[in-house]
Amino acid sequence: MKKPALYFFIYIVFCLLQFSLNQYLNVFGISPNFILVLIVCIGLMKGSFDAQIIGFLFGFTWDVFSTDIFTTRAMLFTMLGYFSGKLDKKFDADNIFFQCAIVLVTSLVYNLGIYLVSCIIMQNNVLCSSNISVLKGISKILATVAITPFVFYVLRRVLKGV
Amino acid sequence: MNLYQKSKYENIVFVILLLICFLFMFGKFFSTVKCIKHFVYYMAYLSPSVASDIFKFSGNFADNIKSLIYLHQENISYKQKNQELTDQLRNYKSITREYEDLLKLLKLGKINNTESIYTKITVRESSLWYQSFIIDKGLEDGLYNGLPAVVFSKTKNSLCAIGTIVETYKKSSKVSLITNSESVLPAEIKNKGVNCLVEGFNSNLVRVTYIPLSVDVKPGDELVVSSLSSFFNEGIPVGVIKNIVQEPYVDFQTATAEVYFDMGSSNIAIILVPMEQKQ
Repeated sequence: MKKPALYFFIYIVFCLLQFSLNQYLNVFGISPNFILVLIVCIGLMKGSFDAQIIGFLFGFTWDVFSTDIFTTRAMLFTMLGYFSGKLDKKFDADNIFFQCAIVLVTSLVYNLGIYLVSCIIMQNNVLCSSNISVLKGISKILATVAITPFVFYVLRRVLKGV
Repeated sequence: MNLYQKSKYENIVFVILLLICFLFMFGKFFSTVKCIKHFVYYMAYLSPSVASDIFKFSGNFADNIKSLIYLHQENISYKQKNQELTDQLRNYKSITREYEDLLKLLKLGKINNTESIYTKITVRESSLWYQSFIIDKGLEDGLYNGLPAVVFSKTKNSLCAIGTIVETYKKSSKVSLITNSESVLPAEIKNKGVNCLVEGFNSNLVRVTYIPLSVDVKPGDELVVSSLSSFFNEGIPVGVIKNIVQEPYVDFQTATAEVYFDMGSSNIAIILVPMEQKQ
């Protein structure tokens, strides 16, 4: 009972952080992706099962409020949660360098996934033509990597007891 | 087995979730999917008042967290301060105790024809506790072998015999205690005018020998240094008799006495230097 309650609390907090409070961290349209870091963190600490369900719920919530293709994020977050969970116990999750590296890779996969789905289903390749968009995407990835140690530190403390 | 089941379960859930995602993704042109999305959006979308409440709550929550952190920091600083004050208080108490001891020493009457040299007991080994100790003054301060040492006893509230200097070095000296098994001190039972000997046996008790049978000695009688002592001045308290042993066919009775110097004395020993010797 403690675990679902804690996940619900984390869900609320990260929804607020990503969808509401993120606007205050927004600099020139660049803001970190807290949810992605959360999913990777849960995957590494609690395994695939928890991470993929949390990923699906967050992705679904995000899709509901976005104008992009419905369930794109749900699918990507589910996949990232599942695969980051598979890395559980293969690497040292306490190592900051490893945390940043895995978040960097997952961010790249996530952004590439969004772009590919957009290209394939909507036949939209506008993103490729704009250097600014590419730079913005890279900046977002770097911002996400930058907040990683902090989010991991907080979540390790929060998830310690469950 | 559990791990295998868990892994299998994970994979099944993963496939189901992906199927749901694909279903919704490729069914985007169907009105049913749009309807589901809009319904969830409508249900999940927060009214302005609820959003305002959430923001207010999160603001309060952040303030509370902030105040908690401040309180925690304040608590840590107060704990440090408390520790410092406790240390200071401990120092203060020890200094006060030392000051009181010194004050008492200052108020003591001077022993005739002697000069008092105040020394600090620097070493008192546990294995030689009732045999000897080292003081911080020696030849440079005018000390030499055979000088008597006394300490202030809080229970007696006067100076009492402790031993004699047996080894003298440049800046330190060794004092052999009257409780040392090699020590024999001529003593007298106070107010009874009876001479006897105080012999140490490496404990806080000493043996009082050669007490004539005719003398009525009782526990509680006080022992002082007798005039027969070649080191100590006459009348310096030594100890108090605890019990008496009267053995048959022996001309003398024996008693055991507790020495004063071990009962709450300070770490300051006073060496009594005869005036004429000093000159």
